[in-house]
Amino acid sequence: MDLLRHLRYFRTVAEEGHVGRAAERLRVAQPSLSQRIQRLERELGVRLFDRNSRGVALTPAGRVVLAEAAELLAAADRLGAAVAGLRGGVTGAIRAAVPPDLGGAAVAAILTGFPDRSPGGALELRELTTAGQLRELAAGTLDVGVLRHPCAVADLELGPMSYQPLGVLLAAGNALADSTEIGLADLTGCELVLFPREFAPALYDETLTACARHGCTPAAVHDVPAGDFARALVLSGAAVALLPATAPEPGTVWRPLAGTPLAWRTSTAWPRGADGPAVRAFTETAQDALRRHAGVLAERPGRPLFPRPASEFPL
Amino acid sequence: MRSVRGRITAAFADAGVNGSLHALDIDTGREVEVGADTLYSTASLHKLCLVTTLFREAEAGRVELTRRLELPAGDGRSPGGTGVAAMLDPVTMSLRDLASLTVAVSDNAAADALWDELGLDTVNATMVKLGLTRTVAIEPLRELYAGMREDAGPNGPAALVDPAVVGRLRALDPNRSNRGTPRDLTRLLAAIWRDEACGGEYGAGLRRVLGLQAWSHRLASGFPFDDVRVSGKTGTLPTMRHEAGVVEYPDGGRYAITVCTHSADTAAALPAADAVIGTVGRLAVDALRVR
Repeated sequence: MDLLRHLRYFRTVAEEGHVGRAAERLRVAQPSLSQRIQRLERELGVRLFDRNSRGVALTPAGRVVLAEAAELLAAADRLGAAVAGLRGGVTGAIRAAVPPDLGGAAVAAILTGFPDRSPGGALELRELTTAGQLRELAAGTLDVGVLRHPCAVADLELGPMSYQPLGVLLAAGNALADSTEIGLADLTGCELVLFPREFAPALYDETLTACARHGCTPAAVHDVPAGDFARALVLSGAAVALLPATAPEPGTVWRPLAGTPLAWRTSTAWPRGADGPAVRAFTETAQDALRRHAGVLAERPGRPLFPRPASEFPL
Repeated sequence: MRSVRGRITAAFADAGVNGSLHALDIDTGREVEVGADTLYSTASLHKLCLVTTLFREAEAGRVELTRRLELPAGDGRSPGGTGVAAMLDPVTMSLRDLASLTVAVSDNAAADALWDELGLDTVNATMVKLGLTRTVAIEPLRELYAGMREDAGPNGPAALVDPAVVGRLRALDPNRSNRGTPRDLTRLLAAIWRDEACGGEYGAGLRRVLGLQAWSHRLASGFPFDDVRVSGKTGTLPTMRHEAGVVEYPDGGRYAITVCTHSADTAAALPAADAVIGTVGRLAVDALRVR
């Protein structure tokens, strides 16, 4: 028995107080409606209506069932609406995440840009580390994220790759602040502020390896999430931070690195095969926001590649 | 901050070795050195002198690089665990491919075939002509290993981790074995990279062969960068770990480096001694790259 449909018929009969009028309203044959009500009574094991000459009247049990049915049917209606929204995609709610350090302007552009691309769609945007995004994408609690690469993307599909050059955030009084751009090797001996390694372990290692490659040996690395404490370390002159282009706070300046030796690779990602219209709209919004507000490059700065015999694969 | 020499010396100490280093900016002549004129048994580093001589003789028209040699099976072949030395059946191969295996996996059989072809005197004469007066070969590898077996005595290879036995190995005594200094070998590499050892296609062919080395646990481990090329040749004997190589950066910087180490520990596996070669190589190159 389709319980929800039978309860809807029951509700209509109760509202009309007359099987014939209810059948008319429901556009079903009266005998068929009577049979369905009797079937519901058998199923529930109680009499729902007393029949009289003018029509039908709810029994006490029928009044209880009507009250409970109202809640059940309301919940079913909400479920149906939510599922319809998801099927529609563009108008559905989408759970998305951006990494820390993406830059306030880019995040704001995603939040304001998404409704334009997906009218009526609801965007639930959170800040989540790359490692956290990978966990939630796998668990199904995140629909799409903006990931920092390299990371393990075996079961994910990726949007177009962007390259976000890193620069240096330093105290305005730092001697290096006078240059229009800073050589990575000039940061040798400085204390560096970088995100905690567990946020994106492979990117953390790649960043420090690239520092070493370009002659930068920091005196210390502070694993500090982007935020007040990181800014305070910079502002006090104790350390400098490696960050994508950012609108600096008073007392600090941001300078690009000479020769673009460091560029964080960034793309959207979603579980393989789950790219509905909302995911596509989010990817387009994020791409656009990164291009306009995060100073990304469309291509990775070129460099030669010399694979060694020990790599065991020829290129 | 400590001087680069101080940091290199400390790194050797941390790894439990006595070590020497010579690093040279091939284009500016700037140097970093720690005991660079210390005489060492060169072990397989001498294969560098051997393949250089091969390409130099080829340039002079005295040797045909594509000529094929047959290396017989069995006792006619020098012992070793890699390349042709590890094969069981006869092998026929060109001189230049023997050179490739000599460098890529330090193949003793391939190297001795080339020693026999060229002669010790030719190799030593090449070194003299290039000004490397302290680099001398007195025996091919098969004799070096025969001497080690003799010195090790009846207990065979197991004795080579016994400190008393290791102490009496002639192979480890630079006065009674093939020998050279870090400075000499670095100069040899600089000559190869400047086309002074041999030129044109022969110089390029020689550098290609030196880029084929398969082992990355020593010098190359200090340069884990995809855009940096490391070429080189290792040398290993009980307690001794060496490498001589060239590191090339995409901005044109090229640095020749030789690191020779002698460990107190007689264990056959000495990963810390392998790795320190990369560590000190990097310290030296970083210092040379600071403008």
